[in-house]
Amino acid sequence: MARLTLDDVTKVYTDEGGGDIVAVEEISLDIDDGEFLVLVGPSGCGKSTTLRMMAGLETVTEGELRLEDRVLNGVSAQDRDIAMVFQSYALYPHKSVRGNMSFGLEESTGLPDDEIRQRVEETTDMLGISDLLDRKPGQLSGGQQQRVALGRAIVRDPEVFLMDEPLSNLDAKLRAEMRTELQRLQGELGVTTVYVTHDQTEAMTMGDRVAVLDDGELQQVGTPLDCYHRPNNLFVAGFIGEPSMNLFDGSLSGDTFRGDGFDYPLSGATRDQLGGASGLTLGIRPEDVTVGERRSGQRTFDAEVVVVEPQGNENAVHLRFVDGDEGTQFTATTTGQSRVEAGDRTTVSFPEDAIHLFDGETGDALKNRELPSNRAIDAFVSN
Amino acid sequence: MATHDNTEHVSDATDEAVGWESKLRYFLNSDFVRSAPYWGIPFVLMSIAVYGGTGYNFAISFTDYEGLGTPDYSTLDLEMYAQALSSDAFIAAAQNNLVLLVGFTTICLVLGLFLAILLDHGIRFSEKFQTVYLLPMSLSFVVTAQLWLWMFNVESGILNLVVTTLGFNPVDWLGNPSIALGAVILALIWQFSGYTMVVYLAGLQSIPDDQFEAARVDGASITRTYLRIIVPQLKEASVSAAVVLMVFALKAFTFLYALVGRYRPPNGTDILATLMVRRAFKFGEWAYSAAIATMLLIMALGVIGPYLYYQYKQGGL
Repeated sequence: MARLTLDDVTKVYTDEGGGDIVAVEEISLDIDDGEFLVLVGPSGCGKSTTLRMMAGLETVTEGELRLEDRVLNGVSAQDRDIAMVFQSYALYPHKSVRGNMSFGLEESTGLPDDEIRQRVEETTDMLGISDLLDRKPGQLSGGQQQRVALGRAIVRDPEVFLMDEPLSNLDAKLRAEMRTELQRLQGELGVTTVYVTHDQTEAMTMGDRVAVLDDGELQQVGTPLDCYHRPNNLFVAGFIGEPSMNLFDGSLSGDTFRGDGFDYPLSGATRDQLGGASGLTLGIRPEDVTVGERRSGQRTFDAEVVVVEPQGNENAVHLRFVDGDEGTQFTATTTGQSRVEAGDRTTVSFPEDAIHLFDGETGDALKNRELPSNRAIDAFVSN
Repeated sequence: MATHDNTEHVSDATDEAVGWESKLRYFLNSDFVRSAPYWGIPFVLMSIAVYGGTGYNFAISFTDYEGLGTPDYSTLDLEMYAQALSSDAFIAAAQNNLVLLVGFTTICLVLGLFLAILLDHGIRFSEKFQTVYLLPMSLSFVVTAQLWLWMFNVESGILNLVVTTLGFNPVDWLGNPSIALGAVILALIWQFSGYTMVVYLAGLQSIPDDQFEAARVDGASITRTYLRIIVPQLKEASVSAAVVLMVFALKAFTFLYALVGRYRPPNGTDILATLMVRRAFKFGEWAYSAAIATMLLIMALGVIGPYLYYQYKQGGL
């Protein structure tokens, strides 16, 4: 059990022409003992590189990586006492499940054979794969292989688990099951875990905290709800949440936000938070967009339904402003019962307490939504 | 396939109605007959040349055929086999064959694996290096033999140049019966280790990087990773390379013949193939040689049989 610290960690690759490619730039993170931290971001954002630096598979160009008080920078992967679950599982194809799981213990500890045997069996019991002990990886299903890969990490009882998109090769249903199972296991074992994913659903549901990366830089670290409701910037706002937040570019003109196809009056309290920025981006989550209610007030607009994606419990409704450009679309989620069809004319309203405003140039959040009951959300957000 | 089914279906349905002319026409129109010129001719040639030859050889080995004239098939017995098995020359040649088989194959595999690991591990731009090591493979046995004949030369050969520079007496590589076989093996290894290297390199490069990484995170050193994770995964490459090498070892005749240019190879390097050819074409002991040939065939089958069985078990056949 340990606390993992990244202090301005940077990774620079040198390409063939001698130029530098910065893969990860000055990331500072403090991962508490027993914490489940999810590193999330689009592909190529540096999340896997960061994880591989923690594992010792990549060197750290600058900055410091510490496990408790021990600096890990020069320590080889073999001596880090860190276990990793690979996206491809990387099971040894010629070894049985037992062989796969005991290999790490045989190589990294001096445990006697029967103790290794016992630990392997305990772990397989815990994962429900004890009947597979003598099978080879090629004889296992994807889900079973995934469990063996997890077991191989768990059996070593390491200081830290590193997981590199471990669920991405599973089908959707199994993935949802394994999400819950992984969380349960991590909770029981209490091992500090860093989990890399590009899937924002996994990030939202699994992590104690989420670290959002883009372009090698850390955008925000916080609880999932924190990132959802109070994004630091435009990137986090757009990345977290499914369907993603509607974002409208525009500018402040007097007391009105002028977007493409709609004018949105801002209250004085909101304007005070903008700090004089004139280029703005307005954001609103699909579930905050009200569709089809009677026109009531200035913050309601005429819109046309373009596509409806029914999902049973709710519909994702793609709309566009009647006065706006053809290409400018936005999404609203409505309950599954509501009847809207493509081509319908309707009205939408954006409640002012639900909008986010971002600086048009820097992308920084200027105003985040107000939460219906601050007390309730704060309880979520600050734990 | 579809045509064939169709033909059958038609002939079933109209069995009573059509005469033999129609049946013949259906037959002549079938895929089997129409494709016959393409597979039939090679098949017949193959049968006569290989299996006919093998069968004729087998038949002769039971006679006492010697010298000129035609074989006499009236008394067939295993005398020639008994004679061979009790002859010292045969036993010595068989032993040399065995040494060649085991020594050459093992060293070639180990050396090839070692080279492949070095190339795979250190130098990722390995294509040029692959060529360097594979080049000997493209030379004919005759060229290899000449090349090594020069190098083995007692007075002026490069090997003795090295040996004498190091302060030892010159070695008569091919003249000393206890060294000659080793010298031959060395030359063959030079020629074939490139081949094993390429086979292993292909195997190594098909192993994904994450196997190395997983082993590293599991705490294994580089050496242990190769020993316990990587090399065991090269089993299939080893088996196929070993079979090729062993078959070459059995028929190293070409190399030995090219080395000296006559039927008698250097003392101490006589193998079954050279013994067989010498007995047949120098002394005209056809039946005796045929018996040796049959035993050589059985040995070759002994090498290939298990391989085929292994392939069959793996689902490869």
